[in-house]
Amino acid sequence: MEESGSVDSVESLCSSTTTRSDRSNGTRVSDTELRSKGRAIQKVYKDPSKAELTLLPEEVIQDSAKDVTYICPFIGPVRGSLSVTNYRLFFRCTDREPVFRLDLPLGVLSRVEKIGAATSRGDVSYGLACKDMRNLRFVHKEPEDSLKKSVFEFLMKFAFPVSNNMSLFAFEYKQVFPENGWRVYDPLAEYKRQGLPNESWRISKVNDHYELCDSYPAALVVPVTITDDELRRVSSFRAKGRIPVLSWIHPESQATVVRASQPMVGQNGRRCKEDEKLLQAIMDANAQSHKMFIFDARPSVNAAANKMKGGGFESEDAYQNAELVFLDIHNIHVMRESLRKLKEVVYPTIEDSHWLSNLESTHWLEHIKLILAGALRIADKVESGKTSVVVHCSDGWDRTPQLTSLALIMLDSHYRTIRGFQILLEKEWLSFGHRFQQRVGHGDKNHTDADRSPIFLQFIDCVWQMTRQFPAAFEFNEYFLITILDHLYSCLFGTFLCNSEQQRLKEEVPKQTVSLWSFVNSQLEEFVNPLYVHFPSHVLFPTVGIRHLQLWVTYYIRWNPRMVPQEPVHQRYKELLAKRAELQKRVEELQREAANRTASSSSERAGSPTRSITPVQTFV
Amino acid sequence: MFSGKQTKPTFKSYLPPLQTDLKKSPQLPIKKLEAKLLPGEIVVNESNFVRKCIGAESCQDDLWGKLVCTNFKVSFIAHNSLAQQRFQCTHRLLGEHDIPLACVEQVVTVNDVKGKQKILGSNQKLKFNPTELILYCKDFRIIRFRFDEAGPESAKKVCLAIAHYSHPADPQLLFGFEYVGKRYHGSTGERVNGVDPGGGLQTPLFDCSSDWDREIKRTGASEWRVCTVNQGYFISPSLPEFFVVPVSLADQDLKQYACCFYSQRIPLWCWNHSSGSALVRMSNISDPQQQRKVEQRISSAITKSHPLRSDVFKSDLDKNLPNIQDIQTALLKLRQICVIDSFEESEEKWLSSLESSRWMEYVRTFLRHAVEVVYMLESRHVSVILLEKEDRDLSCVISCLVQLMCDPHCRSLHGFQGLIQKEWVMAGHRFLDRCNHLKKNDKEESPVFLLFLDCVWQLWNQYPAAFEFTEVYLTVLGDSLWVPVFSTFLFNCPRQRAEHSRDFASSKSIHLGQDQALCFPPVWDWSQQFSLKDQTLFNNPLYVGKIATCVQNGTVKTFTHRRSKKNYSSTLRGLPSALRNGSLGPNDTLSRRNSLVLRLRSDLSQVREQQETPSERFVRDFFSRPVDLQGLLLPQLLPSHLSVWKLYFLRWVPEAQIPQGGPITAFHKLSVLTDEIEMLQNQLRQYQGAAGTPNNLHTEHSKMYFKATSTPHQPPAPPEYLSSSFPFSPVGNLCRPGVLGTPLSKLLNGAKIWLSTETLANETI
Repeated sequence: MEESGSVDSVESLCSSTTTRSDRSNGTRVSDTELRSKGRAIQKVYKDPSKAELTLLPEEVIQDSAKDVTYICPFIGPVRGSLSVTNYRLFFRCTDREPVFRLDLPLGVLSRVEKIGAATSRGDVSYGLACKDMRNLRFVHKEPEDSLKKSVFEFLMKFAFPVSNNMSLFAFEYKQVFPENGWRVYDPLAEYKRQGLPNESWRISKVNDHYELCDSYPAALVVPVTITDDELRRVSSFRAKGRIPVLSWIHPESQATVVRASQPMVGQNGRRCKEDEKLLQAIMDANAQSHKMFIFDARPSVNAAANKMKGGGFESEDAYQNAELVFLDIHNIHVMRESLRKLKEVVYPTIEDSHWLSNLESTHWLEHIKLILAGALRIADKVESGKTSVVVHCSDGWDRTPQLTSLALIMLDSHYRTIRGFQILLEKEWLSFGHRFQQRVGHGDKNHTDADRSPIFLQFIDCVWQMTRQFPAAFEFNEYFLITILDHLYSCLFGTFLCNSEQQRLKEEVPKQTVSLWSFVNSQLEEFVNPLYVHFPSHVLFPTVGIRHLQLWVTYYIRWNPRMVPQEPVHQRYKELLAKRAELQKRVEELQREAANRTASSSSERAGSPTRSITPVQTFV
Repeated sequence: MFSGKQTKPTFKSYLPPLQTDLKKSPQLPIKKLEAKLLPGEIVVNESNFVRKCIGAESCQDDLWGKLVCTNFKVSFIAHNSLAQQRFQCTHRLLGEHDIPLACVEQVVTVNDVKGKQKILGSNQKLKFNPTELILYCKDFRIIRFRFDEAGPESAKKVCLAIAHYSHPADPQLLFGFEYVGKRYHGSTGERVNGVDPGGGLQTPLFDCSSDWDREIKRTGASEWRVCTVNQGYFISPSLPEFFVVPVSLADQDLKQYACCFYSQRIPLWCWNHSSGSALVRMSNISDPQQQRKVEQRISSAITKSHPLRSDVFKSDLDKNLPNIQDIQTALLKLRQICVIDSFEESEEKWLSSLESSRWMEYVRTFLRHAVEVVYMLESRHVSVILLEKEDRDLSCVISCLVQLMCDPHCRSLHGFQGLIQKEWVMAGHRFLDRCNHLKKNDKEESPVFLLFLDCVWQLWNQYPAAFEFTEVYLTVLGDSLWVPVFSTFLFNCPRQRAEHSRDFASSKSIHLGQDQALCFPPVWDWSQQFSLKDQTLFNNPLYVGKIATCVQNGTVKTFTHRRSKKNYSSTLRGLPSALRNGSLGPNDTLSRRNSLVLRLRSDLSQVREQQETPSERFVRDFFSRPVDLQGLLLPQLLPSHLSVWKLYFLRWVPEAQIPQGGPITAFHKLSVLTDEIEMLQNQLRQYQGAAGTPNNLHTEHSKMYFKATSTPHQPPAPPEYLSSSFPFSPVGNLCRPGVLGTPLSKLLNGAKIWLSTETLANETI
């Protein structure tokens, strides 16, 4: 949020990018107490009273300029000083009360542009478009000395290090956290949790060196009846070699969620008997059902059009007992356009009179609905139908992870915990090669790149929608989701860098950078939903009607100063927990006292008034 | 769907075909089906072997039973009971399938064989035998009965009876009269119905001068007095007998001015801000010649009552707010998209249809207007007059909202009830006309009160911990409009109540004993409708657990605003004017066809155009500070921050239900925690108090609906029956054609809409 230096001030490492919507304004003592624990680590970086720029380790100021005017769309022009480091842009105006500041990681910039020529006064204007739903604009005096570079030229350089052959700040940032987040996900441990390998499924090493498929992880779970050789033949039949492999297995029915890319059927209806065998084996591995469902995420028209390019979808002839279902989810370009429209509608100002129809015209919620509806169908087939499903789109790295990971969240309560969710992201998104580098365009100035698309944002939005419908089913809170999105762009952590597991290993990302989970897991209290109740076998079936979907205002509209975090229930709940703990302590003290008294005074026997009371559990 | 096709015996089978659902007529042992009647309630007509539709697609869940029309309700007494979830509370006046006649909006009879359909009014004829009866209810329910097995004549008769009795010709035919009148029959003074005119209630009814006195003291309005000129309703027919006026106005003046005002309504004091600014409501001055003079006199009297002698600000509500017809139109449109249009078809255009209903827009307009008034009171320290032609509709909403925002007392249960009593019931909101109980004049019908409840809900939704009550409470309060036994909602004004009560008593030669008139129970006597246990659903665990210094009703206590006035003045007194006025000028003439430039430029121009008004700054200042829940509360008014009140508007829609989800699951958890805290506090009290007191941990009435479990170390699982509609249930309450009742189709509903390639028929497990 654009901090007006107000009470809540700066938090977290990426500073003010992350709004604490989940928290009210820190007035209450109990709240401050509760939070203080989680703060130790951050403390170093902030001092809200002065609103000074406090640098991260390895962060260096590149240039500063005084007399820069930030044209705030909400409160008008603000004059102050601007600093550019190798990590962030920091703008501060101390003339105002409260102090006005703007603190954002350069990673969120998608383009920086000089607007217009210098005027007679020597003023020049810069526009900054951000990936997190805002645009910034500065006006600045052109330096007298034409040889001297403007601060904005430094900005251009450090905002797009990749385009300038420099490395991302994540590779320089060397903060040490108590926990190493790179250890959060161990594929074998995760498969073991699911009871794999078992008599029907094995873990194949065929992709150990990423030879079968360079965008897939090394460890793949496949039916025992299919040999590695057969897998190799399948890989030539599936787009980008992304063969059908297991994502999740139902602990009771053994129905599985399998992911893949489209089959290379082409116009001539090519077939691959190994692929057919593989799918048959997947079906056979589940004794409960003699049928399986193939969910093609695309609209059927798009799927058919892919035949022209050699792709396509499974024909009913070739895959008997398999039923093909299209989920009508649109491609990355449609989604990008939808978000662009959404940004127009929400930033900077919201038009009062046509808000709802404007929102409708962006189709954003409609897309969210389609994705959730698709995931719901998958989860329903697996849970209620006890049927195995194969999910794919074209390449199997955008819509497919959206669908599988959402279905997994519905099916498996483990993924609704904080660590479980991290594992889910590491597995379904990162190890299976969602092209984060391409979709987000880290450090790349080519903002018109057609490969960019808010696929991951959409997924997080869907998760948020579910947390709204089931407020007690998720261990994490909204702040956790917003933090993830902020660091998706910040390039402070290595987690979302590169396009695949192979690339991350090649670039030594785990060695050279810090994982986002190191940061998160070192201060879990911040991210915990106090209302969370853990029910091991509770399957969530959200209602996907548009009536129950809402725009995630605390994310998309957070820059609007009229958008203030509402008095959150969570906050109250924490206060109540503290209250309970306090009362418990006092009751226990009195109990002990009373017990001592009865014991010491006389052994009068047990008509004691201290009949033990249901000890209430203390969990915070 | 009810195709007459029956499976015929084929030559292969010598057995009769299996009976379909349709044929499964009640061959159960005939249970005696009798409607439960309240005192004064009589059966008008009934029909046996009626089917109540539960699911629209199949009739296997349908219930068989008897349909009864009484002078109070449409009652359905079922043979078998619903297996599925239903309303979780037991209504004391209404059975599970009952609908009060006052809640019936439209009676539609259908003969699907002949393809005929007719909306029935009072005293009408029906030329066909109905096979189906559809009741459209004011609370958004749609209920269907089938008469396939019922006698055609009796079906027709019961339909006509329902139509007739839901259009009472006279207010005294509203059931409340018979019901309350019964109290006086028989032995004198015996409380047959347990009717309590308010003696045992903590809610002030403002029907006596002492309630007003207390309110004056509570708000520190020392320059205001209770005026009794209207005792016996001699001055104004629509004003209460007691109300509050500036001390500087003598009774003589008031009598003199009264005739200038519309319906002789002397301006009414509503409330005083702690700064001494008063909130006053006033009707139009009917005599234009006198207008200026009277206005001046009133204004100067109000000024005199202000400690700072501040000016008076007039807020013209008719000019700034939608009128009652607009509001009615909006609600009808909203109902159309919520419950009448098919769920799927309305799904695609939901947002724009919602917008074009304008309901949300009106909710916002009212809230925004109230904020403007708050700004005048809070920041400008001036008294405000709410000006409305009749002063009986829009001002009720605005004055209540203003007080809810400013005065934490109004956010307690009794404070809120007192507020409604003060600003709606006593001020003479025409509940009888607006509810259109007599269905005489549709033009007068308007859901002003529901709109108000929605505004309150928006505030509640934004600051849930600031209110003592829950959204269930607000919903049930809205529903009580349609239970015509409460003094609160039956009349247009106190005088009408008095007159009708007197007339009714004398026409029935009821001996009233000590009472002056029939005493109707106020809706605030919640035990009329719900058990104590069910009433705990009204208690907000966020508030109850607050141990806040909540101002108790009755006790004289002036509230104070913890936020000192200073806070408002210091910040952001504007931008350096040099910056605003021109030093950036030349940069505006930027030209490049780049879209970014254009967008940025429009950003800039918006900055220029939107000079912040002082009240906007007031709002922004408010939001830049931590909120004190016991102080001033302003709502977020960005259109993106108002939501549809789903519990009220969508509770009957099966597809919109979230099984085992919704805000109720959080409520459940909070409720349990608050209950634990209460238990611990009780324990402490026991230790601290007499050691010998019985160790009764759970005092008989905990305030929480959901209790802490006795098995510790395990957070209690939310009960299976919880859903986003809780404590209501869509089952059997919304039967429009095309509703899919089965759980699976509901689950798949979202996906199905987008599905072109697959037929739903394949959707089997």
